[in-house]
Amino acid sequence: MAMVKEPLLFARLPLGARRLLFGLVLFGICFLFAFPVLWLILTSLRLESGVYYVHRGTEFTLGNFAEVLQDERVVEAFANSALIATLATVFSLLVTVSSGYMLSRFQGPAARTWFGTIYVFRCVPYISWVLPLYFVAQSWGLYDTYTGLLLPHIAVHICFFSWLMKGFFDGIDPSMEYAALIDGCTRWGAFIRVALPSAVPAIAALGVLCWLFTWNEFLFALILTGNKVPVITVVMAQFVTEMGMRWNLMAATAVMALLPAFVLALFGQKYVIRGLRL
Amino acid sequence: MSRPEAGGPEKHESCMASITLSKLNKHYGALHHAVKDVDLTIADREFVALVGPSGCGKSTTLRMIAGLEDISGGEIRIGERVVNHLPPRDRDVAMVFQNYALYQHMSVYDNLAFGLRNKKISEAEIKAAIDRAAEILGLHDLMKRRPRQLSGGQQQRVALGRCIVRNPVAFLFDEPLSNLDAKLRAQMRIEIKRLHAQVPTTSVFVTHDQVEAMTLGDRVVVMRDGRVQQAGTPLVVYNNPVNRFVAGFIGAPAMNFLDVTIRREGVVLVAQSAAVKLAITEPSGEALAAWIDRPVVMGVRPEHLVLGGDGVLSRSFQANVEVVEQLGSEILLETRVGQARVTVARVAPETQLAAGDQVRLSVQPGRLHFFDPNSEAAITA
Repeated sequence: MAMVKEPLLFARLPLGARRLLFGLVLFGICFLFAFPVLWLILTSLRLESGVYYVHRGTEFTLGNFAEVLQDERVVEAFANSALIATLATVFSLLVTVSSGYMLSRFQGPAARTWFGTIYVFRCVPYISWVLPLYFVAQSWGLYDTYTGLLLPHIAVHICFFSWLMKGFFDGIDPSMEYAALIDGCTRWGAFIRVALPSAVPAIAALGVLCWLFTWNEFLFALILTGNKVPVITVVMAQFVTEMGMRWNLMAATAVMALLPAFVLALFGQKYVIRGLRL
Repeated sequence: MSRPEAGGPEKHESCMASITLSKLNKHYGALHHAVKDVDLTIADREFVALVGPSGCGKSTTLRMIAGLEDISGGEIRIGERVVNHLPPRDRDVAMVFQNYALYQHMSVYDNLAFGLRNKKISEAEIKAAIDRAAEILGLHDLMKRRPRQLSGGQQQRVALGRCIVRNPVAFLFDEPLSNLDAKLRAQMRIEIKRLHAQVPTTSVFVTHDQVEAMTLGDRVVVMRDGRVQQAGTPLVVYNNPVNRFVAGFIGAPAMNFLDVTIRREGVVLVAQSAAVKLAITEPSGEALAAWIDRPVVMGVRPEHLVLGGDGVLSRSFQANVEVVEQLGSEILLETRVGQARVTVARVAPETQLAAGDQVRLSVQPGRLHFFDPNSEAAITA
């Protein structure tokens, strides 16, 4: 005898009510995630005096943005962040794509050793690299230089994203490359001319992830740079001064820092989703 | 990597393109011996079908010929050249893959041109070669499309086209029809056959489907566990299988096997079990004299059994119908004879039969096969 199950409360509601409830829950979840960002934008549009009160009046201003943009250090930090994120993305992609391909296609001592190496590095907590890196950067004279910040970023990307790239290539049928080998390509040629073009969505996805990762990174930047290479995440935090916290300016900077990430995510998400699904 | 030209002075004879495998071996690690001492000569322009169950080493053998797989031992010659250490691009062969392996990011035209452009051939010549191939395969309307936009059959035709434009010394086919549905598979089979007639080129065709092997191959090579079991024309392999495996693998529905004992009754030998007693009139009967009072495995193909005992009574036996499969053109009968199951093919479709019926089956003359129960080798005169 089949048990007739009592329908759930939700299923017993009329259609309209069900839709309404669904909408409310959806809205609630979205609000939960969007609230900090909305609050940030709101704060960035406030006068300094309006920041600290619960009832914050109705005065809004774009003055914060103007003030922040007049600060050379902030502008320089934006440029630096963009440069470092772009360079880190380009260099790490060069390595990740080929190392992911190797991990996916080749077995042997070299591939196994490489696999083991990045596995070990992945297992180490990210934060525990920072202090040793600081000392290394100091003794090699790389402290507070572009290279000193770039290299650790590239290393982290290689460890984290080689795995993703291996996954993408695992999803691409190797017989296309075999066909290329027979059609007169070298192994390297088959990779460049046949495997790479098929991996473009994945590479684009990885590019977006790499770029955002570096753009948003705070810890390495804080420890490994001083005054000469300001980056946006660090500069943003420096609105906390002995004079007090300039919340409105910090928020304005943060909103501007959000923009490239937002744009990239907007245009890149198609690739990211397709790439990650590959 | 050195390129030993053991075949004497370097020659590049596209006219003589036999493929010779001698003592070919492939090991994967210490444990897996995928291909064992394969000796095979494929004559110029011959179409050889390598057939066997999955994991029998047929694809590995093909990939070694193509150069996609290292050779653990033995020698491969294409024409006069030893190609053991040549990379795939220097072997001048073309290959069709199970999943077509077309370059997804290129148009059909560029797919066809890819190999020729690698050889630095002029675009005008490439166009001419592609036009010829397109003519043969009917690809003209597809040239601008991407592989994704083609059906499975069309993709496989493009893959064939990619082979023939290169005018290689040999075509290698790695289960090219497995991804197609049954109807299309039959069409493509004919297309490949026609292609081979039009562009006679040495071909090695790997398949697990014995029908493809039988219909396409000038010669069929049956493999199991990395070894060649038998190589011969389709008819030879069908009529004179060298062992029980080949007998069971070639032919559909598969051959029936019954455990019997050989006895002498007067001047004739009979194969006898609890349910069957058949007089042996086959030529192999003489060899069976050595097997008197010993068990052997008797094989008979479903299509060589006839319903009714109207022939000689000593060549028929009683069977119990278990399943009746009406195909329209014929009936397949699944019967039980003692402990054994026996399939009967080519029963007239009008025949009224139901499960549980008793029928009498007789064996066509000369159609019994006998195998050593231990070595499984065929017992022949």
